[in-house]
Amino acid sequence: MKLELGNFYVKDIEFGSETAFNDGILTINKEEALEVVYKDEHITEADLKIVKPGDMVRLVPVKEAIEPRYRKGGGPVFPGVTGSLLQAGDGRTLALKDMSVLVVGKHWGGYQDGLIDMGGEGAKYTYFSKLKNVVLVADTDEEFEKQEQQKKNHALRWAGMRLSEYLGKTLKDQEPEEVESYQLDPVTKRSDEVNSLPNVVMVMQPQSQMEDPGYNDLNYGWDTNPMLPTFMHPNEVLDGAMISGSFMPCSSKWSTYDFQNFPLIKRLYQEHGETINFLGVIMSNLNVVMEQKERAAQFVAQLAKSLGTDAALVAEEGYGNSDADYIACLVALEDAGVKTVGVSNEAPGRDGGSQPLVTLDPKANALVSTGNVSELIKLPPMDTVIGELESLARDGLAGGWEDDEILGSSVKEDGSVIMENNSMFCGDQIAGWSTKTMKEF
Amino acid sequence: MAKAIVYLNQFFGQIGGEEVADHEPEIRNEKVGAAMLYDQLLDGEVTHTIICGDNFMGSNEEQAVDRILGFLKDKEFDIFFAGPAFQAGRYGIACGAIGKAVKEEFDVSVISSMNEENPGVKMYKKDIYIFPGGKSAAKMRDDVTKMVEFGNKILSGEKLLPAEQEGFFKRGIRHQYFLEDETPAYERAIDMLLKKINGEDFVSELPIPEIDTVEIADPIKDLSKATIALVTSGGIVPIDNPDKIQSASATRWGKYYIADVDKLKNRREESFKTIHAGYDPKAADADPNRVVPVDAMRKYEQEGKIGSLYEYFYSTVGTGTSQDEAARMGKEITQELIENNIQAVIETST
Repeated sequence: MKLELGNFYVKDIEFGSETAFNDGILTINKEEALEVVYKDEHITEADLKIVKPGDMVRLVPVKEAIEPRYRKGGGPVFPGVTGSLLQAGDGRTLALKDMSVLVVGKHWGGYQDGLIDMGGEGAKYTYFSKLKNVVLVADTDEEFEKQEQQKKNHALRWAGMRLSEYLGKTLKDQEPEEVESYQLDPVTKRSDEVNSLPNVVMVMQPQSQMEDPGYNDLNYGWDTNPMLPTFMHPNEVLDGAMISGSFMPCSSKWSTYDFQNFPLIKRLYQEHGETINFLGVIMSNLNVVMEQKERAAQFVAQLAKSLGTDAALVAEEGYGNSDADYIACLVALEDAGVKTVGVSNEAPGRDGGSQPLVTLDPKANALVSTGNVSELIKLPPMDTVIGELESLARDGLAGGWEDDEILGSSVKEDGSVIMENNSMFCGDQIAGWSTKTMKEF
Repeated sequence: MAKAIVYLNQFFGQIGGEEVADHEPEIRNEKVGAAMLYDQLLDGEVTHTIICGDNFMGSNEEQAVDRILGFLKDKEFDIFFAGPAFQAGRYGIACGAIGKAVKEEFDVSVISSMNEENPGVKMYKKDIYIFPGGKSAAKMRDDVTKMVEFGNKILSGEKLLPAEQEGFFKRGIRHQYFLEDETPAYERAIDMLLKKINGEDFVSELPIPEIDTVEIADPIKDLSKATIALVTSGGIVPIDNPDKIQSASATRWGKYYIADVDKLKNRREESFKTIHAGYDPKAADADPNRVVPVDAMRKYEQEGKIGSLYEYFYSTVGTGTSQDEAARMGKEITQELIENNIQAVIETST
């Protein structure tokens, strides 16, 4: 399989009469773009905004981030989700780089939604403050979940994907500035030289702990909850096979943008043929019932063993209950003779004094830690808020609260906020970007 | 100007040596002994010196701490120093005990220094800042300098760095930290993976604390001949708590004679109660047998199901008690049980 990602670097984004990408400038005909958004009758109100790094803008509740892309040949960017099934990861896909489409609720947020500050001291807490963003801020008639803490955010997330495909289409007939090429020979048909290197897999544990449909990450449109661990080509992940879900405190989440650009996978590719033989991805999941957790770990270890794996990177999209899946997977691999390194965040509490993961095992002796979900963060007011600031306190965002006897509400009258890192949009960057670690103080 | 108070033992407070180790706590409105050195180095002023004999603190800790907290009630101070205690075990534990109490009561930073061998390090490093110190008073100036430099940093409001950079013993308090060199997680992960593959040393960013698992014992062959003891972390004690077991973070345990009772009488009958601060005491005070089931064990005795109930039960408090302290107490109790030929223990928690 060979994937070519054709990159177009976006220098600026502006509204104009015609939606087009020319000389690094993405111009958007707002009316036409909104027509794409309104294709779903559940969208009741929608607007587009443009935000750039350094803007004194706060976005909340942020639900999703997507990189705008165009699949050569015209197939869906997200097979099985925005169109019919086709094989992702083989062929050429064009991408608008240094930007994303952000989806923000006009009013209502939920447990899984997050906050982004584009400028000021809050900007360092999310990756998306570094990007130019087209912001879709919208409301829906999904009355059944308006007052629910857990939201599927279906209409908004799908509108975001439609909009990103619409913007990606501007690249249709253009030649990319740069082509990233990702290719792996079949596992059994590699050169002696590559075969002599240590065999490495990437084990991914995407969020799949909701038993009701509509909340979990999707694999080619298939709910990852009733899924057993399976072997995938890393190109599939980089090319739209996986989309983000709508469950889990936000700092622990992988957005769809994260899947499309998964830094841990890209880094393993860099080492392939040099220091390691990158076998591919074992796509696992995260479960609720103990037996499901054990079953998934057993499948991962078996797949790794059958593939002749020497070492594995394991990354967990979540914390708390799912730490049991994370540690079980690491232990099962170590027991199978596979050397592991884990990547995840921690939850030692606001005071930092509690046990960092729900379960611990001395076999998990090589862990990269990307943040404390409960770290308290105070941020000053911003000039502009896109969405509704009150949602942080009102709607049960994982890192916000309406009232606390000592701290008061998360949202202050002057527009400043006090919150837990939990609600920083994909803030712990477990996909690999995080420049945060954990230290003893 | 910032104000500091210093705690010293009888020796460094210039009262005398071991012969006056029972010296009762006192506070002086002046800089005594080592307090002068603190005063020289501090960006501020040492206003008072507290002096207490190590033995007095060791055998009357609760009273000593209460009296010292009483001294401090009407004093204004921004920071508290205790020690340095070097390798002196009783002094180290005293610095930790008073330091922890001062921190909890007045919410000021408390800084101490001890040699890594000092038992006070293990007991109190989670509660106060303890810097690794020398073995003896020859290192006084070095140790005090380290403590005061860090104190000055706190007083200035400067951002504190991780323990490994500031130099104090790790406290088990973990916070997120933006790396100065901004090395992303994917680089750290690959680096760690390659090192692990190649058998090179690597440092996990989340060290897993060593888990001390105890194997499950073999079953008792004939229960009808066994002597069984009751041990609890539920804090059941005689009404006057004769062993002064603490209500949380316990370091003491007691044993209480029950050979002559069919069941434990309750608090209203002025007999047994719980001093455990980690659960609602109402039910345990009304019927202590629900935590230490003497009544049920007597019934088994009569039925011949067990040989006998041991004539003492053992008690401590589990809430907030550190694993190290719990293990030490457990070993001490086990020693007695083995010496008295007990075959089994029923351990009740809450």
